Amino acid sequence: MTFNDRIFGVLLLVLAVAYGWGASQFPEPFGGSEAIGPETFPYLLAVVLALSSLYLIVRPDPDNAWPWSRTGVELIIAVVVLVFYAMLLQPLGFILSTTLAVGTLCWRMGARPLNAYLVGAASGVVVFLLFNFALDLSLPLGLLSFLEVG
Amino acid sequence: METLGFLIDGFGVALAPHNLLFALMGAFLGTLIGALPGLGPANGVAILIPLAFSLGLAPETALIMLTAVYAGAMYGGRISSILLNIPGDEPAMMTCLDGYPMAQQGKAAEALAISAIASFIGSLIATVGLILLAPLLANFALTFGPAEYFALFLLAFATLGGITGKNPMKTVVAACLGLMVSTVGIDSTGVQRYTFGTLELYEGIDFIIAIVGLFAISELLFFIEERAGGGKEKMAVNKLKLSWADIRNILPSSVRGGILGFIAGVLPGAGASLGSFIGYTLEKKVVGKKGFFGQGDPRGVAGPEAGNNGASSGALVPMLTLGVPGSGTTAVLLALLISLNITPGPLMFTQNADIVWGVIAALLIGNFLLLLLNIPLVGIFVRLLSVPPMYLLPCVTMIAFVGIYSISNTTFDLYFMVAFGVAGYVLRKLEIPLVPVILGLLLGPEMEKNLRHAMDISDGDWTVLWNSGLAIGLWLFAGLGLILPYIVGPILRRRMKVATAATAGNPEGD
Repeated sequence: MTFNDRIFGVLLLVLAVAYGWGASQFPEPFGGSEAIGPETFPYLLAVVLALSSLYLIVRPDPDNAWPWSRTGVELIIAVVVLVFYAMLLQPLGFILSTTLAVGTLCWRMGARPLNAYLVGAASGVVVFLLFNFALDLSLPLGLLSFLEVG
Repeated sequence: METLGFLIDGFGVALAPHNLLFALMGAFLGTLIGALPGLGPANGVAILIPLAFSLGLAPETALIMLTAVYAGAMYGGRISSILLNIPGDEPAMMTCLDGYPMAQQGKAAEALAISAIASFIGSLIATVGLILLAPLLANFALTFGPAEYFALFLLAFATLGGITGKNPMKTVVAACLGLMVSTVGIDSTGVQRYTFGTLELYEGIDFIIAIVGLFAISELLFFIEERAGGGKEKMAVNKLKLSWADIRNILPSSVRGGILGFIAGVLPGAGASLGSFIGYTLEKKVVGKKGFFGQGDPRGVAGPEAGNNGASSGALVPMLTLGVPGSGTTAVLLALLISLNITPGPLMFTQNADIVWGVIAALLIGNFLLLLLNIPLVGIFVRLLSVPPMYLLPCVTMIAFVGIYSISNTTFDLYFMVAFGVAGYVLRKLEIPLVPVILGLLLGPEMEKNLRHAMDISDGDWTVLWNSGLAIGLWLFAGLGLILPYIVGPILRRRMKVATAATAGNPEGD
């Protein structure tokens, strides 16, 4: 099967055209145009990408299988966990959000839930202490800010 | 000798107590990173860059630490090859061939010690080579004009896939994607490009975020897909019984491997994988029927290990002198240089002489540190290998988050990193190499700047790009770099496959 490369090639071709079109919309730089404007290099890139994506469409490599079903779901869970980690880092604070994120990831990768969240909490506390006291970089405490000393 | 004077100054920098301390720390972390499966050297160095930053280390200290990490990772790769039959990184693949059988015969400790000595010899030879060759090449590179640099960057992209690369077109695609991302932001004439009015994009996309995302996050996703969370069974390590005769036995192999590796490392398009492959095949040829390669011959461990370490030090030559890295990990080191505001290339040897020579001296010292770390302390690393990936990778991901967050204290960067991680996963699935993407991100601004200079000088005449003999030569090599993989690649790849499949039984790695 050679769908992957063909589909990806088409997407890249679209990207190349959009990117090239985007370059043609740049305003003229202040002080008049020169031999090479802001759009020249992007034009070059768009042409090279368009040509190489055509090659992918015409001569695709055999496919790697995509993980459907359960593994696919696990992957989506992992990405969602990472997005939530980024989102909750400031409001919940570093230790709590790390416990949740690392714990969930460990658990989904096959660790027993209790161990997983213990590892998550331990790693969060250790890194927090290391950063705030040894390395002098402040990480957010969030909900735990009542623990703050002085 | 001018070089000698610089080198002595370099030792002055490298032997400063805090630099020595960071070198030791880097060497330890590097070995650890190299040893843990799923955490290659490029990945490890990438994760540590933001930390080196937010710690506010002096440029030479940061560079010394990360060079030590780089050297250490090459040492560490062999530990998992020998004990788990999983190469910690790609070049360590050849070490599996004889290292794992040695471990199976209950000679794991000997295999580890031999490979540490061979790594040491290989790195030492290559570092000496680097000291001799780098100033010459830097002098030569001073004659390059903008047109030559433009051609040189093209050469770097064209040869990045390596002769053994599968599909050079995918390298081109990857390089284009990287270069495109690098054009985001306000350009040198003050025009906004592809910012879509988003304030955070005005300064462009920080390549460190992209690198950490592409490497670290995509690695996590790959481990989840392969369900390799439990880890693999490990060989027991016996008590070390190594006689002087054993060491003497592997010396010639190590020297040969080291020299070959260095050459392979300097040349564009060869890289450490080819270095260790050539090291192994040459040993087999030289020793001939007297050897028992594939069944645990110590020389089969020494040759490729020396080759792989020689190549990794050799790869620093083009990176330091031309500012053009030849491998993924040196690309990451280049990222560090650029973000420390040091312009890599020939001028670095005059303008930042203390840093360059400090790093080179640190490389020499680091080798001795690594040898000391690796023979008596190998037990610690072995124990850490039994940490299953299901705990390890989430923690590594967390470190990546902390590092990126601590650069600017915004969560916007974290979303970007996750997005790059998903993109990296998809690209790897499509067998599009990630290193050209990163190189594109790094070299994009320089490449465009050189193009502009060349065209400004010639008043818009495009032929200036191939007007000098040197530039034509570079274009020619770049062309060869794209065409040769189609001709020579299948043959070489088949040979490497036959060599690995015939002896290892179960080919691992990607």
